[in-house]
Amino acid sequence: MAEGNVFQFSSSAYLEKLTGKQASNLDELLKLIESCTSSSIFFHTFSALRKLREFHFPYTNDFAVWISTGLHEEALSEKLGAINLTAYGTIESLRERIVEIIKDFRDQNPPAFQKKADVPFYLCDVTRIVYLTDKFAYNLKSLRELLDRISIDSLYFHFIESRLYNQLHLDDISTWIEQSLGLTELAQGIRNIDISVYTLEEIRAKIGELIDEHMNKPTTKTGV
Amino acid sequence: MNIPTLSDYRSVVDRDVTEELYILASHVGNRSIKMVNSTATGGGVAEMLHRVVPLLNELGVETKWEVIKGGSDFFDITKAFHNALQGNEEVLPKEAFNTYLACNEMNAHQMDFDEDLIVIHDPQPAALIQWSPHRKNKWVWRCHIDMSHPNRQVWEFLRPYVEEYDAAVFSSPLFSPELSIPQYRFYPAIDPLADKNRDLEVTYINSTLEKYGIPRDKPIVTQISRYDPWKDPVGVIQAFKMARKSVDCRLLLVGDKAADDPEAEAILTQVKEEAGNDPDIHIIFLTHSIPTEINAFQRASDIILQKSIREGFALTVSEALWKYRPVIGGSVGGIPAQIIPGFTGMLVHSVEGASLQIRTLLNQPELARRLGENGHQRVKDEFLITKCLKRYLLLLLALDHPAQDRITLI
Repeated sequence: MAEGNVFQFSSSAYLEKLTGKQASNLDELLKLIESCTSSSIFFHTFSALRKLREFHFPYTNDFAVWISTGLHEEALSEKLGAINLTAYGTIESLRERIVEIIKDFRDQNPPAFQKKADVPFYLCDVTRIVYLTDKFAYNLKSLRELLDRISIDSLYFHFIESRLYNQLHLDDISTWIEQSLGLTELAQGIRNIDISVYTLEEIRAKIGELIDEHMNKPTTKTGV
Repeated sequence: MNIPTLSDYRSVVDRDVTEELYILASHVGNRSIKMVNSTATGGGVAEMLHRVVPLLNELGVETKWEVIKGGSDFFDITKAFHNALQGNEEVLPKEAFNTYLACNEMNAHQMDFDEDLIVIHDPQPAALIQWSPHRKNKWVWRCHIDMSHPNRQVWEFLRPYVEEYDAAVFSSPLFSPELSIPQYRFYPAIDPLADKNRDLEVTYINSTLEKYGIPRDKPIVTQISRYDPWKDPVGVIQAFKMARKSVDCRLLLVGDKAADDPEAEAILTQVKEEAGNDPDIHIIFLTHSIPTEINAFQRASDIILQKSIREGFALTVSEALWKYRPVIGGSVGGIPAQIIPGFTGMLVHSVEGASLQIRTLLNQPELARRLGENGHQRVKDEFLITKCLKRYLLLLLALDHPAQDRITLI
């Protein structure tokens, strides 16, 4: 993480924890979502972006995928899939929004709550292990150079997972660019990247493009 | 071929994958592991341990592997346990449980368990923990089988032993019961540099098929699996016969026999009866399979089937995907983790479904190619042995801090 003006890249690895808990219908899913750990909510929403990370696939969060494939309730799946994960300040406010959408749907479509899925939803959790790497950025130029060389797990940690420890709309990279380099406009551009529609490799490319554009502007402060 | 070292894996995985292993190993420090299972050869578990054990040692984690001993009565019983935990409703007599415990006790007295982490694989040695009541090290039960519908009698017998462990590890959330101990998910993994998976010369592939009398005159559909009712080899023949009414092809069934599997010969008889004298169906029974030949069969195939009706994980799926083959798999056990339908392969639930997908993929080679490419990438991301090594390192770290959901290494 950022220390002073230096940004030391971390990376993270995780072990998926199994809870033995499952839901076969929307009522049971609602109860799981209301009672599970924050870490579980994060795992089934933000961490879903880590899965299939090389591929284009409509895989925005596990709840939406199961409601579509298991219960064939496409409208509810779309409502949950369309949640802008970064619009919520905390996991608890994200949890409240998910619960609210499912309850609203229940009010409008009570029969959907009678459906039983062939394959249950399995509640999982995760143990995250964070470690420092030997890669340091001292300025925007070195950050740009390292961006292409850091592992995909390191990118995931700084751009996705770090939101769990800070605020959901704030990633490490844009925070460092704003706070240490004073480049507010560039930081905002990076924050505007829609994490739900890109693979991690595409996110890497997007951040790179934004930094390149900024560095190629002759009159702007570069942070170099 | 020389046994690959970690640096050799840089040719097939990204460089940062091996770098990360060394970083994690440095945080693990001087630790030791003992793996315990019931067979040294045959089946995915033994195959994986043959590679994981030396590579963990290379990473500085002193790792040993011991195989429990037992007579044919013990292995008949543990085979019945295996089938029961995968859903067989058979009721076992009380003597079976006594024999199981007596064999575990005998093994417990003949082994030592001084390592930092003891990993007990599958039900056969699960009760060993009973005879280490004053242990100070960590014990983990690694269950490789499909526990989604366990026989209540056998599971209620085993469960108290399992809950003595510090943690349990399953291959899929589908197999995970509610337990009083932490549970983790480990996907099993293949070794991309092993003889079974490494690149082969085309001449070797051709000569292997020639050796077994398999003509290359039409597309080849293959299932490579132990002869076991859960792999549904009879259903594979039925699906093939249905598909062949629309598209000309050959069926290749290849299977070996694990040392702890007394049922294989009986299943093979059923398979031969179903095949009859059909010249397009080739049934190969290998008492000792040659890995490069299995590799050649997979690479020569146009489609790989794994039409299981119960599964632990089915590493044969990952093996085939790694070789860019399109795979049709039964939607059971760990197969859906490897096959995302229409993206990295096709999932089926019936003989009819399998026959339809054979017809689809043989008639649509571009779709088949795309599935194979996506499947290769998925295996690279999740199901290679390097990922398995990483999970063991993470497990050692996680067991040090069982109550923490985030561990920061300094």
